[in-house]
Amino acid sequence: MSDTDSQFLFFGGRHYFVLFVLLFLLTGLIGRALYLQIVEKEFLASQGGQRQIRIIETPAYRGAILDRLGTPLAISTPVDSVWVNPSEILQNLPALKKVTQKLSINYSHSVDTLRRKANKEFVYLKRQIEPELASQVSDGIDGVYTQREYHRYYPAGEVVGHLVGFTDIDDKGQEGLELVYDNWLKAEPGARRIIRNRKGAVIEEINQVKAAQSGKDVYSSIDMRLQYIAYRSLARAIKYHAAKSGSAVLLDARTGEVLAMVNQPSYNPNQAKKRTSGQRRNRALTDVFEPGSTIKPFTLAAAIDGGLYSPESTIDTSPGWYMVSGHPIKDFRNYGVLDLASVLRKSSNVGASRIALSMKQEALWQSFNDYGFGKPPGVAFPGESSGYFRHFTEWQKLDHAVMGFGYGLSVSITQLARAYAMIANQGRHVDVSLIRKEPEPEIENKVERHVMSAKTAKIVLEMMEQVVGPKGTAQLAAIPGYRVGGKTGTAKKSSAGGYDKDNYLSVFAGVAPISDPRLVMAVIVDEPTQNGYYGGTVAAPVFQEVMSNALRILDIAPDEISSLQAQIADKEEGA
Amino acid sequence: MQKIIWVALLLAFVLGSALTVIYVKHESRVLFSELRNVQKKQDQEIIAWGRLQLQNSTLATHSNVESHARKTLKMKLPRTVQLVRLP
Repeated sequence: MSDTDSQFLFFGGRHYFVLFVLLFLLTGLIGRALYLQIVEKEFLASQGGQRQIRIIETPAYRGAILDRLGTPLAISTPVDSVWVNPSEILQNLPALKKVTQKLSINYSHSVDTLRRKANKEFVYLKRQIEPELASQVSDGIDGVYTQREYHRYYPAGEVVGHLVGFTDIDDKGQEGLELVYDNWLKAEPGARRIIRNRKGAVIEEINQVKAAQSGKDVYSSIDMRLQYIAYRSLARAIKYHAAKSGSAVLLDARTGEVLAMVNQPSYNPNQAKKRTSGQRRNRALTDVFEPGSTIKPFTLAAAIDGGLYSPESTIDTSPGWYMVSGHPIKDFRNYGVLDLASVLRKSSNVGASRIALSMKQEALWQSFNDYGFGKPPGVAFPGESSGYFRHFTEWQKLDHAVMGFGYGLSVSITQLARAYAMIANQGRHVDVSLIRKEPEPEIENKVERHVMSAKTAKIVLEMMEQVVGPKGTAQLAAIPGYRVGGKTGTAKKSSAGGYDKDNYLSVFAGVAPISDPRLVMAVIVDEPTQNGYYGGTVAAPVFQEVMSNALRILDIAPDEISSLQAQIADKEEGA
Repeated sequence: MQKIIWVALLLAFVLGSALTVIYVKHESRVLFSELRNVQKKQDQEIIAWGRLQLQNSTLATHSNVESHARKTLKMKLPRTVQLVRLP
């Protein structure tokens, strides 16, 4: 023991020296640790974070536009865009060569481009390609990345182009429903904070900065089956009559939902570059025309509803013309004394204008205003027209007279269809909708807005049936097995300085089935130049074809079976 | 003596909690990678769904269906005299 003590004492100086050195080193270490932990902590943590923590975008896609049965009219599907960091990829040219081969783009050309943009960090190689191909290309190659994007497809193409519209490259609605419901459809990409490992793979999610919000779907009121038939039928008629343009609108008479809305010429929304503004216009909503004779049912409705006339009233139209303020109002020929139904069936201008003149200007204006003339259809569609309908205080006597047969005011074909729907809907007001409506809940004592009495509506409806009947102007609109009513119109086109001699508008608007109206359709063909120009020969057959198919597709039971039975009986006798 | 037991107990707790942290961290990584896989799968399914929807609407274009019905299947609309009314 004493031995070691003496040794300890002997080496005392060394012992303290070593102790001192160790203590010094320890203090240094602790000091350094403290320095890093406390003074430099933030800087170091942020540097570490910058190398590992990233905020990445969570993709979200735009809602789809569907027809009333769920058939897609516009859908977004994911595509990838391949991009590179030039400074990274230029160090690995063989890899770039492989990538360009897979993407089938020119190798030497892209090397040139990338060299020019060498100071940038983000250059697209190819945009919007199949995600599968993109991941094949980018996997395992440094400096080649993909970015998720969404491409908008319109499967129905030009059949429903005007209505759906299209989006721009940034997925923003530009026209049609895409524009009207942009806020509803549009997607909000989210953001997440994540940790990456050295290879760039995500290993942990720290938190969600913003939740991704995909767009909501829009169910339009369109029925694609009917839309297609209407499109085909109208296109055929436009071609056959070598016409300039045309539109057709099919409405659900009870709800005002647009089941089909087609225009010619049309365009394919998938091919963004190949469209002119003339093709792009949704004429059914934007273009207005003087409705001509198709307005006559409303003149009669206003007169009957005002109590001035009953269905038995007669009007003397001879000698087939008369003068108002120095202008002649003419019929096709002298029809003599007509009852109201015959005024409509023979489409007498003299009769209709006499009825209009016998009403107070204010009463006529108020009725037409109630029927929606001069008021936009209210579907918030871009360029939607409210037509042209002057206030009665601005009317001259001639305006008052010609108003009775559809001149001096203008409407869009959708406005015309809406007005017919009000007659079909027992005189109730109808709102047009491009969006599928939910069935209304049954409410007792529901307040209904009538624009004419149900009785008047029924009288006018049955008068319109005669127009399609064997003595009427629209026999081509008749559908076997169904009671159909409507009115033709053949209007001269107005242009600068008066009415054109040889340019016509052929119009037909009709309702079916008469006993319990379900569907209303209005058709216009602009400037038919071949094979006739009367509304009854040009527009009525389009109505007949579309309406008969629509009645069949929608399972609406025939309401006039006797005519069918007669046909069957004929057949059996013959056999 | 009591003191020592307390210290030993706390030590055991600390050790246990440390091991649990390790285990849970590991578990979370495993689950996260599983989540990533499922998300990737979901993404692929969404892509496939879009493609199928497009394919479906292309093949089922009304003009396509109509020409197929008329030409290949030789279907036609019944004439009114061929209709039978069920009571």
